[in-house]
Amino acid sequence: MSTPPLLPQPVPCVQAPAHWQRVDFMSDLHLDASEAATFDAWAHYMAHTPADALFILGDLFEVWVGDDNQDPFALQCMAVLKATAQRMPVYFMCGNRDFLVGAALLNATGMQGLNDPTVLDLGATGPRILLSHGDALCLDDHDYLTFRAQVRQPEWQAAFLAKPLAERQAYARSIRQQSEARKQTHTDYADVDTTTARAWLTASDTQVLLHGHTHKPATHDLGHGLSRWVLSDWHATSQPPRLEVLSWLRQNEQNPTRGLCRLPLEQA
Amino acid sequence: MSNPQVELHILDHGVITLELDAEKAPKCTENFLHYVNKGHYDKTIFHRVIPGFMVQGGGFEPGMSQKECDEPIENEANNGLKNDHYTIAMARTSDPHSATAQFFINVANNDFLNHKAPSMQGWGYAVFGKVVSGNDVVDKIAAVKTGRKGFHDDVPKEDVVIEKAVAL
Repeated sequence: MSTPPLLPQPVPCVQAPAHWQRVDFMSDLHLDASEAATFDAWAHYMAHTPADALFILGDLFEVWVGDDNQDPFALQCMAVLKATAQRMPVYFMCGNRDFLVGAALLNATGMQGLNDPTVLDLGATGPRILLSHGDALCLDDHDYLTFRAQVRQPEWQAAFLAKPLAERQAYARSIRQQSEARKQTHTDYADVDTTTARAWLTASDTQVLLHGHTHKPATHDLGHGLSRWVLSDWHATSQPPRLEVLSWLRQNEQNPTRGLCRLPLEQA
Repeated sequence: MSNPQVELHILDHGVITLELDAEKAPKCTENFLHYVNKGHYDKTIFHRVIPGFMVQGGGFEPGMSQKECDEPIENEANNGLKNDHYTIAMARTSDPHSATAQFFINVANNDFLNHKAPSMQGWGYAVFGKVVSGNDVVDKIAAVKTGRKGFHDDVPKEDVVIEKAVAL
């Protein structure tokens, strides 16, 4: 067991304007040209959500091999993101599949990049939420953390991005196959380390850790008024379909008990 | 009496001149000058760079080896100075009164770092000076490529070294 990583301070923070009544969160959509139904559900949500702001917390894409990728599916996704970002602020945090999203994609779509982790301060009537993709907190997943340490190195990324696009796409396919093979042989996945989660919440004066990555949507009570909300992954063709956003709804006189809730896509 | 000034000579980047607010932040100023004058900051790096937020340094040598520091100081975040763009503030752990040598330069107006209340959570981060020349050098540091080293994220790919810190 390695030493839990301390939360580096100070932590970046997004301060929600008072007029935000609804904020949506999503992650782990794993958008891919081969999963048309998931893309369609997402595109419909993006065009119609009444949220005041959207936070995408990593693994929006099954894989992202560089902002220079202009294949038809990437362009389709970019058009959807851009249209939504013209209606409301859209924030994007990298996950372990799309960590190569860079400034060019953010500029092209109008999304705002988020450091992992970032605090979301919802003001006097809302909680302070610590947003993360979550992978860095899965301390028992040694193989993955080693891989993450490697691919998050600027040297590795520069060398990778210098390769021809076709070679990068081939590499991405091989990583995906390894990941699928691993899913067949591993029945249990690493999960977020509770001690570290509590320490990060305390250090950042936040009450809620909101993350994705693990594909284990749940709400965990961490004691002392702290909780951990795990976003659902998206898969339209699962039975039942896994399509869900987390929403935060600001309390008001008509709705004194509002807060964080899960919205199946047909209600979102 | 005029406020003390300190030059940070950043290897291959240029010089940042800081003016310290000895009146509003006497303890931070004295502490920072103490580390400057004993040569603590010479050959340390900016080890945490987050564009649109802040650049942090003063605690590590190249290779991410952490330097020994002296006793922590009292947090002066209640002095009215704000974490505005191009101000310098003391870094710390979650304990408000834990700052030693590490500092950061804000590269945005970070209101959420300002003092709110004399509590564990509300203390905020103590601003004790501002950049009076070399904003372009700060901008260049904020724009360097970063990645992960060990447990540290946002570490510049190529070391950003404070060659020397000089009190004027």
